[in-house]
Amino acid sequence: MSATTAPRVRRMRLSLSKQQALTGYAFILPWFIGFLIFLAYPLFQSLWLSFNNMENLVNFQLKYIGAANYIEAFLIDAQFVPMLITVIRNQIIDIPLILMFSLFTAIVVNQKLPGQGFFRAIFFLPVVIGSGLVVQQLFGQFNADPNQSGPLVRGIDVPTMVLVLGPEAAQAIFDLMNRLSLVLWRTGVQILLFIAGLQGISSTLYEAARVDGATEWEKFWKITLPMISPIILLNAIYTIVDSFTDVFNPILNYIRGLAFAGQFRMGYAAALGWVYFVVVFLLMLVVFWIGQRHTFYAGER
Amino acid sequence: MAQIAEELRIKGRREGMRLAWKGRASSWATKAFIYLLLIDISFVFLFPVIYLITTSMKSVTDVIDPTVYWIPTKIEWNNFTLSWKALHFFDWNGWHAWPNSAALRSAEIAVAAAIGQVISASLVGYGFARMKFPGRELLFMLAIFTFLVPPQTIIIPLFIVYKKLGWIDTYWPFIVPAFLANGLRGTLFIFIFRQFFRGLPWELEDAARMDGAGPVTMYWRVMLPLAKPAIVVSFLFSLVWHWNDYFEPTIYLMSQEKFTLPLRLSIFWTGLDEITGGQASRVFNEPLIMAASFLVIVPPLILYVFTQRLFVESVERTGLVE
Repeated sequence: MSATTAPRVRRMRLSLSKQQALTGYAFILPWFIGFLIFLAYPLFQSLWLSFNNMENLVNFQLKYIGAANYIEAFLIDAQFVPMLITVIRNQIIDIPLILMFSLFTAIVVNQKLPGQGFFRAIFFLPVVIGSGLVVQQLFGQFNADPNQSGPLVRGIDVPTMVLVLGPEAAQAIFDLMNRLSLVLWRTGVQILLFIAGLQGISSTLYEAARVDGATEWEKFWKITLPMISPIILLNAIYTIVDSFTDVFNPILNYIRGLAFAGQFRMGYAAALGWVYFVVVFLLMLVVFWIGQRHTFYAGER
Repeated sequence: MAQIAEELRIKGRREGMRLAWKGRASSWATKAFIYLLLIDISFVFLFPVIYLITTSMKSVTDVIDPTVYWIPTKIEWNNFTLSWKALHFFDWNGWHAWPNSAALRSAEIAVAAAIGQVISASLVGYGFARMKFPGRELLFMLAIFTFLVPPQTIIIPLFIVYKKLGWIDTYWPFIVPAFLANGLRGTLFIFIFRQFFRGLPWELEDAARMDGAGPVTMYWRVMLPLAKPAIVVSFLFSLVWHWNDYFEPTIYLMSQEKFTLPLRLSIFWTGLDEITGGQASRVFNEPLIMAASFLVIVPPLILYVFTQRLFVESVERTGLVE
């Protein structure tokens, strides 16, 4: 009796889990189709394209030229490598600035004070208007006159006192201040994530610390910062990704110019795209590696 | 049940926060200092917006006059009417014809793409969060990887794909990927929904399964109604990002009648010359371009004014950061 029912039960169970797996695949199927058509295929295609020269634009006829595009990018093109270095250097400056500013703003705005909702609404304005061409207008880069700096750069005045530090240091400070006003406009999502994270910290931790007589300063370093560290990492990665499509990203405009505006050097532009991808990916791995070492996950022991 | 639990959780959290911060913001000096900081930071964000609005109202004489910095002597409405026409914001050609309107074009793309991303990302996010199948973690890693690929790297083959499909100069490149949970930051929305669904109690599904609900009923009748915060956040983000998107439309759209507002803004002077026959001065042009910029951001700004409370609250409730 039991010998006959046992296999049937097992078969039932097997088909059930299979059924569940099939349902699971069905749910993610739309994404998978999209992934294959709009990401995987173009990604491999662009890798192949980067080793080719496009001979004919009408039927996209290719001619294999080996690593010539990559050699050109590093050895012949006088613009690309400096541009890449600038982008990476700016990223390295921007990420800590954005993270510190947005964490600071989130902590300040998270205080239970009247009118706090009003300030939150203001701090989120950049997400509504900050991602488009309008900001470029405001920063004056879109003006016919490239030397004219936009009103935002005038927003933060640097006291001329810094000149006593010597021209090098003064220039560095001026650059930093100019970047700062630009960078602050890219913090909306980050501030919001930090606010949500701060609200997720259990109040018992703060109460326990208060009972033990911890100061606010100590509470910040021993509770807030460790608890919020996963979001710092999340925000760092988000900031890098966000900068890909930033209107100020020179690589974006350079590649577009090469591929679509007049020159139609598709193969070469694809090679530059890949160099950019690899470099940015390495940067992300470094950020992730540093982040992982300093990130505290509450669930772990 | 879950809703009540959720509400209790949030209430408890709020209460806890209030207690935790009580000691902090108690003294007057601290309060004043915090307000000072808040106002100071707000200024950084408001300054450009105020500048944009006041400048857009200025006349040419105000621009030249060095004594006029902030407040124009009189409001130059002409800036807005000219910009409106030059952007082809909304050209009404009578009832018989579809209006030639860049605002409508932008709205078409933004709304269609946002709806597509919400529908598909909620399905996929639910699949990743609640279904057990072999290779789930690997596939999710692939989805995250998608997010890390710069558009610069794949834009050329993508253009070729669309060209072969005959989608160049149509809106399909924005809409079809959105309905397949890809498109502009599609992974982010999958991630939002996955995080949200993971946070819901398993008892919900057990109870529904007991009642004989299949996976589709479960998703549609049980899970989706609970996912309102995730839906609100994803929809609004997607809407605003598509509205402001500039890079992709410059590549996929060719004919001017199909241009979205940011594209019209980028060819503003050409548009203005068409309207005025090249009569408008470009020398003291700032008020005009500011008026045009203002018109582009007005629709999302209005939307934001009405939804910001819902929006901020929803972000806190998505469990995005837990």
